[in-house]
Parts: sequence; C-alpha cells; structure tokens
Amino acid sequence: MSKLGVFDVSVRYGKVPAVNDLTLHVEEGERVFVSGPNGAGKSSLLKAISGAVATSHGRIEMDGDLLTGLPPEAIARLGLSMVPEGREIFGSLTVEENLRVGTGLRRDAIAVEEDIAEIYDSFPILGERRGAAAGALSGGQQQMLAIGRALMTNPKLIMVDEPSLGLAPKIVDQVYDTLCALQEERGLTLLIVEQSSLRAARVGGRMVLMRGGRIVGEGNAADMADRDALAAAYFGKPSQQTEATT
Amino acid sequence: MTNLAQLFFDAASLGGLYAMAALGIALIFGVMNLVNFAHGEYIAFCVFALIVPSTDAVAVMFLGRAPALVLIPVVLALGGLIAVASEYAVFRHLRRADPVAMMIASFALGFVIRNALLAAYGGRPKAISLWPGLNTPVNIAGASVPLLQLIVIVTTLLVVTGLALLLKKTRIGLEMRAAAENFTMARLLGVRANRVITGAFALSGALAAAVALIMATQTGVADVKMGGQIMLVAFIATVLGGLGSLPGAVAAGFLVGIVSVVLQAWLPLDARPFRDAFLYTLVIICLLLRPQGLFVPASAKPRV
Repeated sequence: MSKLGVFDVSVRYGKVPAVNDLTLHVEEGERVFVSGPNGAGKSSLLKAISGAVATSHGRIEMDGDLLTGLPPEAIARLGLSMVPEGREIFGSLTVEENLRVGTGLRRDAIAVEEDIAEIYDSFPILGERRGAAAGALSGGQQQMLAIGRALMTNPKLIMVDEPSLGLAPKIVDQVYDTLCALQEERGLTLLIVEQSSLRAARVGGRMVLMRGGRIVGEGNAADMADRDALAAAYFGKPSQQTEATT
Repeated sequence: MTNLAQLFFDAASLGGLYAMAALGIALIFGVMNLVNFAHGEYIAFCVFALIVPSTDAVAVMFLGRAPALVLIPVVLALGGLIAVASEYAVFRHLRRADPVAMMIASFALGFVIRNALLAAYGGRPKAISLWPGLNTPVNIAGASVPLLQLIVIVTTLLVVTGLALLLKKTRIGLEMRAAAENFTMARLLGVRANRVITGAFALSGALAAAVALIMATQTGVADVKMGGQIMLVAFIATVLGGLGSLPGAVAAGFLVGIVSVVLQAWLPLDARPFRDAFLYTLVIICLLLRPQGLFVPASAKPRV
C-alpha cells in the first residue's frame, strides 16, 4: 500500500513561490513522471513530500498518514525514500556504509543483510567496491548507489529526482532498467522527476507536466511526449505567444 | 639529544590536549554547523566541579577528593551532561537558524556559564591540587618528563582511537559521519536528527571534561578564564584541519601544539614573549594558502 496524496500544497522560499496550490495523487504501484522546464517547482515538490522543505500551505498524506509537518526522518520511517538530485551520496563513507545509513529504522537485521547482498547482485560493481570511498565512484555508479541506498530503508514509495542528470544516455538506460525491474519485483511506487519527456515516454507511465509551480498537463507519458501540452509547458500557451509577438 | 626528547614529550602532550579540545569542537560543527564557543566554558565548568562552591581564596576539594576510578567517569559524565543540557536549552531551538546566529548564541551561553561560575566561586584563580603525584618527573631517554605528560599522550591516543572505533564500528558513529557530511540526506534516510546531535554534544562535553582534568592536574589552578585560551587554540586547530573534519582536527591540534613548543624552544629569548604572534602568523599563512583547511580529504569533493 502506498497511496500518495498531495492536496493544495504550496512551497515558498522566502517570498518566492516554488509550488502553488498543487494537487497530485499517486496510486499504489504506479509510475509517475514529473516533467517541466527548469524552475517549474519539480524538485521543490519532491522536497516538500519528503519533508526536506516545509510547505506553506496544504497537506500531504501517504496511506492515510499525514506527512505534513513531520521531520524527514519520520517520513522515511513511514516508508518513503528519496534519491535526490545530484545523488548526494556520502563521499567519505564507503559504498557499504552508504547502504547501511538507511537501515537504522529497520528491525529485521537478517533481511538487511539479504537486501545488501541483493543490491550487490543487481549492481556487481558496488559489490566489488564495497570497501572503497563512495566519492571515488563514477557518476553512473554513484547513481546506482543512491538508488540502492534508497532501497535499504525498505520503502513503499521511492522518489527519484532527475536520475539522468549528468549521465551518458547509455547509463541512463541502465538506471531506468534497474528502476523498472525493482518496481516490478518489490511492488514499489515510483515518483520520478525527469526533464526529458521523450525519456519518460520511452520508459512509460503517467506523466505530469509542471510549470510555474502548477500542474499544467497530465496524461500517459507516451501520448504526452509529442503533444501541444508540452510545448505549452515549455514555451507558454500558443495564444500568449502570439500576443507577445504582435 | 636530551633536548630533542624533551621537546618531543612537550610537543606531544600539548598537541594531545589541543587535539582533544579541537575534536570536541569539530564533532559539533560536523553535525550542525555550529562553532560552539561555549566549549571553553564546559572545560572551566568541569574544573570547578572538582571543588566546593565558595568564594574563599582557598579551594576545598569536593569531587576532587573522590578516588580516580569514581572521579573520572563522574567528571566525564558531568561534561557530557552540561553539553547535552545546553543543546536542549539553547541550540535545539536554533536548528533552523543561521550558523552565525547559533555562534552568537554559543557566545551568550558561554557568558552565562562563566558568570554562573563567577557567582558561585568568585573571580580569583584558586590553587587546586588534583593528583599532585602525577607531576613528579620520570626519566625517559634522558629527558625528564612529568608522569602526567606521559598520561596525556597515552590518554590522547586512547581517546582518538576510541573515538575512531566508535565512529567506524557503531551505528551511532555511522549516523554521525553521514550526518556530518550531509545532514539532510541522512535524515531522508531515517537518521534521527535529535539522536545524532545529542550524541555529538555528549561526546563533545566528555572531551571537554577530559581536557579539564588534564589542565587541572597540569596547572594546579582553577580559573574561570581557563577555558578561553584553549578554546581559541582549539578553534584555530579545527579551522586549520578543515572545519568539521575529525582527523583534520586531531592532526591540526597536534600540529599547533608541536609548532608552539618548537617556537618556544627555538625562538631567540627576546622574541619568546611573542610566541603566539608567530604562531598565529603561521596560521594566517596556512589559511591564505589553503583556506579549505590543511587536511581535507580529496574524496569529500562532490562529483558530477
């Protein structure tokens, strides 16, 4: 079970609004992409859900639990995990230590070891370098580590912020293959920020388009990729554009 | 040769003291970006806990009378307690505040503790004798070394090793290291902020207590101002070591100790009163050349 509900949520940095009265529902086991131009508020939305930034208005629920106002560690304990933008792995910790940071909330020590073994199975390179400083891994390996680390909290829902950022397309393919396989295997719910709507369309799922802190379009990612809504989100509504040019 | 051995023991024991004080500061900076200027007052507080509160010139031992096996754990616990209490009373309410605001609050807290000590004990430094036997010199390698110096060196090694083991091998240690590197990310992974911060304050306070015991034995004086000087040196060591880096704090603490002992020994007689000016000049040069600190590991750099 992991049904996420975002109701009329606003996020402000000082006076600058980042998310405006946004409402979004994610069903259990669903894969939802959040797309849109830079500054649309995608990352802020994820941060608000995870508790990393405070909301100024609205409420967020998961499986009937109110997340709004909870500290990030309490939200993590409710089964929500995050792979943040830029991965934010702990560079001075070893690969294995990175994986273990998120296991403090678990009481199933045996399953933790099994999970670590499983992650090394899925990402052999992490197993090979388990004792190495995580900061010495390549960008793609760090992304894998960040995903593995997020899994170690045994979450029901994982949010991934820009998994393709700074990675070669081939690596991005791998990252998405892994995410999809994990989702299948564990019945995870995924909420992914992805700037490239083409990429989202190829992976498949529902897509939500954001602009100026609001949702401006929604639909099947494959249909959305080549629709006017996209152009509207990135360049403004066609009518506005004509007004601007005349 | 004699001279060199003497120099070595002096440098190692002074460096060890600085390293422990610097560790106390670096631990807290690591988890909450706070330079806790009240740390020096924790040290003074622990020294004064040894004697009966009174404004008389002669100090009457209070805790100081207890046998070492009782005294040491109790003083360490007291140091941890005052640090944890100050976190609970002051810094917890400033979690989201600007680091500068937190730093100013730590100054204020330091004033409060210092003035409370002044009120209870009076402003005059008092002679105390804690374990006077430890100042008897022992002959090693031709150098005459007070037993206490050896104890300081061994204690520092034990404390540093113990802390390293704690940080490396235990759950709370792992959480502290993760939190020191990226606190928000650690919390997103379920690491409890309060637990880590309380742990860091407790350890930091216990380190202050260890420094207090050593200083009290070494100098034989309880002075309300005694925390200020060592706090300054320890702060410089943490900056030199790269703020928040624990190995850096230890290394820089030793370095500052070694350099000041060497300056003391080798500066011309006329220049010796200005030893600290030379020391701080070297510190400024170091910071100009490496503003990020001397011992910042390359792996800490983010990678794209």
